[in-house]
Amino acid sequence: MRKYLSLCFVLGLLICGMGLFIAYADPFTEADLKKWNEAFMAAVKEGDSLFHSSKLGKNSVSCDMCHPHASNAHPETYPKFQKQIGKVVGLREMINWCIQNPLEGTPLAADDPKMVALEAYITYERRGVKLEPGKH
Amino acid sequence: MKGKMTRRTFLKTAGALTAAVAFPVSRVEVALGQKPGEKFTFAYISDSHITQIKGTEFVRNFDNGLKKAVVEVNFMDPKPDFLIFGGDLAQLGKKEEFEHGLEMLKDITVPIKWVIGEHDYYLDLGKYWQEKMAPLYYSFDHKGVHFVVLNSILTDDDWTHKRWPTPEERMLQMARLDNPNGSPFMVKEDQRAWLKKDLAKIKQESPLVVLSHSPLYKIFKPWNFWTDDAEQVQAILNPFKNVKILHGHVHQVLYNQIGNLTFNAFMATSWPWPYVTTYSQLPNKMPALTVPMNRADPFKERDGTGWGHIELPAGIAHHYELWENPARVVQKTPGMKQPEDTQYQFPGKRISPQKHY
Amino acid sequence: MRIGGKSMRRIQVVLLFLLVGTLVTYLWAAETPLGLPPVPIPSDNPQTPEKIALGKRLFEDKRFSADGTVSCATCHDPQKAFADGLPTSEGIKKLKGTRNAPTVINATYYDSQFWDGRRPSLEEQSKDPLINPIEHGLPSHAPLLEIIRKDGSYPSQFQSVFGVAPQQITIDHVAKAIASFERTVVSGDSPFDRYLYGGDKTALSESAIRGLEIYRTKGRCQDCHAIGQTNATFTDNKFHNLGVGFKRLGSRAVQIANAFRKAKQEGKDIDKAVLGDQEASELGRFVVTLRPSDIGAFKTPTLRNIVVTAPYMHDGSIQTLEEMIELYNKGGESNPFLDSGIRPLNLTDQEKADLLAFMKSLTSPQFANVVQSTRKE
Repeated sequence: MRKYLSLCFVLGLLICGMGLFIAYADPFTEADLKKWNEAFMAAVKEGDSLFHSSKLGKNSVSCDMCHPHASNAHPETYPKFQKQIGKVVGLREMINWCIQNPLEGTPLAADDPKMVALEAYITYERRGVKLEPGKH
Repeated sequence: MKGKMTRRTFLKTAGALTAAVAFPVSRVEVALGQKPGEKFTFAYISDSHITQIKGTEFVRNFDNGLKKAVVEVNFMDPKPDFLIFGGDLAQLGKKEEFEHGLEMLKDITVPIKWVIGEHDYYLDLGKYWQEKMAPLYYSFDHKGVHFVVLNSILTDDDWTHKRWPTPEERMLQMARLDNPNGSPFMVKEDQRAWLKKDLAKIKQESPLVVLSHSPLYKIFKPWNFWTDDAEQVQAILNPFKNVKILHGHVHQVLYNQIGNLTFNAFMATSWPWPYVTTYSQLPNKMPALTVPMNRADPFKERDGTGWGHIELPAGIAHHYELWENPARVVQKTPGMKQPEDTQYQFPGKRISPQKHY
Repeated sequence: MRIGGKSMRRIQVVLLFLLVGTLVTYLWAAETPLGLPPVPIPSDNPQTPEKIALGKRLFEDKRFSADGTVSCATCHDPQKAFADGLPTSEGIKKLKGTRNAPTVINATYYDSQFWDGRRPSLEEQSKDPLINPIEHGLPSHAPLLEIIRKDGSYPSQFQSVFGVAPQQITIDHVAKAIASFERTVVSGDSPFDRYLYGGDKTALSESAIRGLEIYRTKGRCQDCHAIGQTNATFTDNKFHNLGVGFKRLGSRAVQIANAFRKAKQEGKDIDKAVLGDQEASELGRFVVTLRPSDIGAFKTPTLRNIVVTAPYMHDGSIQTLEEMIELYNKGGESNPFLDSGIRPLNLTDQEKADLLAFMKSLTSPQFANVVQSTRKE
């Protein structure tokens, strides 16, 4: 009987422990969501600003001159075979291609916060459109 | 030899008479008292956006577009009657940009008729333009066609005179197409009154061409593909039976028919704007009629740019000279209800680059 | 309807030809070299071993020229990578033309033939040089057909391949045979092919690997000299103006083009004009389309075997690949009709060297030992 009770006790502890563990796995709150969304929107705002500045290139051309509101950029189709580059690439490779070619600038490093900001802005302006990776 | 010519001429006349009887189109024309006037062609170059980087350094891409258009217009044989410049010669309305643009245009061998664009206007409110190019709005006649040039890119007085601290800031704000701080274009009351007066002496059957920089109808307000008082302007034009409205600003193949009014957009020599349907977050009024131009390859900086020439007056035949692409013709012959692309209008005839946006 | 014995036999022969043709074509397709797409075979000219052999014989026959010295192989010499190593080619009596002889290797992948694409197929192309006064110089195709009909073995070859009697042999039969032979002149399996399509990561040097990356990005080569995901023809089959040779037109370009346009509308022969008249030659694709934006535009050639097919460009004016890279690096030769994909590249010396290394990797093994003997003009 005691053995049985001990077993129950240990099992009970285990279950409680697990319960506690589950309850705290990713316990984000509404306040967290708000905070993280603000961080994201700050990146979108920075990307918006870079997109409309003429500072990414050397010839004063800015991205919005061919892509007002980041239109016609198709972020939902990446990765895909990019004709101009001759291989399958992600969105940031194409962003860099545009910076190097129509904007005659220097490409950004893949982990440059500016690159993340640009991607945030471009995808944000295309929110809600279904993914179609690989589409030309 | 002379005998032969007489027989041929006789046959030609007989054929024409037979055709006139057989085709109701000609009968309708004759019934309306509309004499088909002498056909003529004019060329246009538009939206060159010459941009100064610093000093004598200009954006090479846009310079190349204007240069190329000038050479090709001069290549036309026979020559066009005149050239229309559709607006936005300069990018930020600077004297240096105008002068650089005029330097490239000086090789044009036919008279130039000027239409002002917002990039030309908002730095000095049209001062340079009126001194060196043309009045802001005016009219002229050519071979029986009455041409009216409007300044359609005005905006409200507050935005124009009070909102911005400097003319340069105002120009920069206007230069950004997708500007949330922008203000819609308008023709405004003074010009509308002038237009009414100017058209008072024109017969309703006479061919009328209205030139403006921005489209005189409503397509997409966030990009100012829009005229706020479009309905009022259209109301002044509606009584006329043969009206073509030609405009720049949109940098793309675009055409539409609203009532009696046929709209045709000029190509830009500088860069293409995307179609308004490519911005998914807001609704738009893209004309269903337009067959889009082929999707551009940004590797070729001239893809999506070009110039054109237009044949008048009974119908309109708009020849789009699209660089890096086959040419396209959008026409509305007498009897047609609306303009159509001569090759691609029917959905079954479209090709992938026109559908795959 | 009863089919008579003779007709039955004819039907059987035709079916046999079709079977052999299909088999041969299948075998040919199965043997497409690494890095190449299948050879496009027109439905009205299937490949057969006999036709190919006949075509090769015709290709090398010097009797098909006014003075008996020129065959197709004169300017398209198999020993010289099917070109001739000259800036511009020389025909009968060493008469000089205006254009550099393109190699026949992989020419089957072009949608049109000649530098200005004025002929749509290998068949159509093969007929023109025979009657051009500065190439083979024959007054018409008739003398050639006479030689064939009177030859000891051509008639039986034509009979066997096309089923025609000597008097029924036409220039189109000749053209088909020559084209068939040319369709076998294909080469892939270069170090580049083995690296990109064969999975051999050791096939290219470090420098050439960097060169491939530059080709796709800063060098801006990819868009016209296309490399695909599973094969590479290195051409977009379009026409582009680099400004090479444009100075021969200079400020009179529009005048010259206008005069040519009028002449063409009055029936002027393009083939004779572009090879005989320097200025007409510089008009490029314009002579076909009459569009001003095509003035000075020439077809994108393949880059395969580029090392062994010097000199370069439609007028053979570029002697070395180093000069070629310099031309592109500076943004071509400025002129009003310059292709809008051409611009200054600002390559570093290292990048130029890497690009060169990459281009050297495009030579197929069977042409690796071709000796270049480029003569300066």
